[in-house]
Amino acid sequence: MISRSALTRGSQLALRSQGAAKLAQRGFAAVASPKASYEPTTVAGIKVASRDDQGPTTHLAVVAKAGTRYEPLPGLTVGLEAFAFKNTKKRSALRIVREAELLGGQLAAYHTREALVLQASFLREDLPYFTELLAEVITQTRYTTHEFHEEVESVIHAKQAKIGADAIALDAAHSVAFHTGLGAPLYPTPSTPIASYLNENSVAQYADAVYNRADIAVVADGASEGALSKWIEPFFKELPSQSPDPLDSAASKYRGGEVRIPKTGSSALVIAFPGSALGASQPETAVLIGLLGGESGIKWSPGFTILSKATAANPGAHAKATNYAYSDAGLLTIEITGSASAVRKVAEESIKALKSVVDGSVSKEDLVKAIAKAKFDLLSGSETAGVGLVHAGANLIHGGKPLQVLETIKALESVTAEKLKTVAKALLDGKASVGAVGDLHVLPFAEDLGLRV
Amino acid sequence: MSLAPFISKRPWLVKMLQPLAQMYVNQAGYRKMGLRTDDLISEENETVLKALSRLPPRESYDRIYRIRRAQQLSMQHKILPKAEWTKPEEDVEYLGPILREVEAEEKERAALDTLTIAKKH
Repeated sequence: MISRSALTRGSQLALRSQGAAKLAQRGFAAVASPKASYEPTTVAGIKVASRDDQGPTTHLAVVAKAGTRYEPLPGLTVGLEAFAFKNTKKRSALRIVREAELLGGQLAAYHTREALVLQASFLREDLPYFTELLAEVITQTRYTTHEFHEEVESVIHAKQAKIGADAIALDAAHSVAFHTGLGAPLYPTPSTPIASYLNENSVAQYADAVYNRADIAVVADGASEGALSKWIEPFFKELPSQSPDPLDSAASKYRGGEVRIPKTGSSALVIAFPGSALGASQPETAVLIGLLGGESGIKWSPGFTILSKATAANPGAHAKATNYAYSDAGLLTIEITGSASAVRKVAEESIKALKSVVDGSVSKEDLVKAIAKAKFDLLSGSETAGVGLVHAGANLIHGGKPLQVLETIKALESVTAEKLKTVAKALLDGKASVGAVGDLHVLPFAEDLGLRV
Repeated sequence: MSLAPFISKRPWLVKMLQPLAQMYVNQAGYRKMGLRTDDLISEENETVLKALSRLPPRESYDRIYRIRRAQQLSMQHKILPKAEWTKPEEDVEYLGPILREVEAEEKERAALDTLTIAKKH
């Protein structure tokens, strides 16, 4: 599963390729130009993004507009994800897996809040086989009853058992922030009632509504454009051009609120504010994330960001700041997990530190560090196969305009302490979304922390 | 060793042998106990058990009812009144297709397990 923090980096990704040829030639360290980025094209009415680094392996993915935001009923996205690579009209699930194994390929299906991704990673020369396989999976899966009971249900139960307090708290923060759409849980917990909504027929209907030329994008990392246009056209011929039953999705609206869920085991607290969406020019958010920090990139050192200092003083808690960027909204979150008392102390200290940012006490050194981290996150996001893949696809299916990376870097560098102060003040004065999961006797209310809900 | 596949492929032969087949089925007598052909399939093996687990709930319930009724009749050495005998239109196979699918899956698994790779060079 890709890390959520990657969503921030991918937001300004899809550039027109400038440096592919130059990169192939450069032999020594040159001025940093972004690695060859995804080229968006259209093949037979299907949006395609590809990038070729002439390596021996290819990653090919179908990114569909079928994330939890778009599901008409709870559980359909996870059901569709679990039904990927199961029996089709032409071959059985066993055959698909065995053939992929013989070719040395890897198949994966995962979803985010806005997209469902079916991914295949394989050796370069097997592109025709896996293109046919992905097309077959999205158009010809049978969605049989016995597979639903024998395989899909058990897989969903197994995945539900792994959901921890941190995931529940994040889902809770999203649900009070956005209500429907983006507020739907990323993975339903065992106590979420989905049995009446999830069955093989509703999943098949959802698949019909979602797998069509308008709502999918094919993303390839490591395949040439010529090869892709040659093989996508014949195999994706049967894909309908329009959905018979288009799913509507209202624009996201941030609301805010507080939710508290009792749970045994470790506790988690998520404090969320409205963040920056994909493609929105709000560099202050990225710098604020760098300032808050939490996860150090240096081993054995906790780092010296606001959250790192708080967790170093209170062992037993982990804290992280992220901006979850979606197509029309964003959520800036501070996620704290650990023992309930440590979580409480870290939360109190981090809100105090945020208030000191508002009071204007950001040192120059901290600002430089935060800007550097924001720049690194932005540029490194394009280099990872998994992360860049999903974002190139998500960008295509939502029709987002690719942002210029160099302009964003310039905008990041021009962020000052004053701008940060304004943004932080606006966040703290507005409504926050707080999700507390765990030992509620200890975990603070939002009001106790000084937040408005 | 069965002539059934040979005969099924030739519709004229099927039509010719139909009366003989009907006489055989009537003589077998399972319809007089309210059973259908697929109820007679021996369930003491894994394949059939798997196929039975895939039956829709209503079919499964009806099957169990018919078998219990037939067991009661067998114990009493009775048969059903003529009005309640299974009619030929009702005697369609419900388990056969599922069973064939399960058998095909097992055969495919066995074939894939004993696969040999022929190298091109």
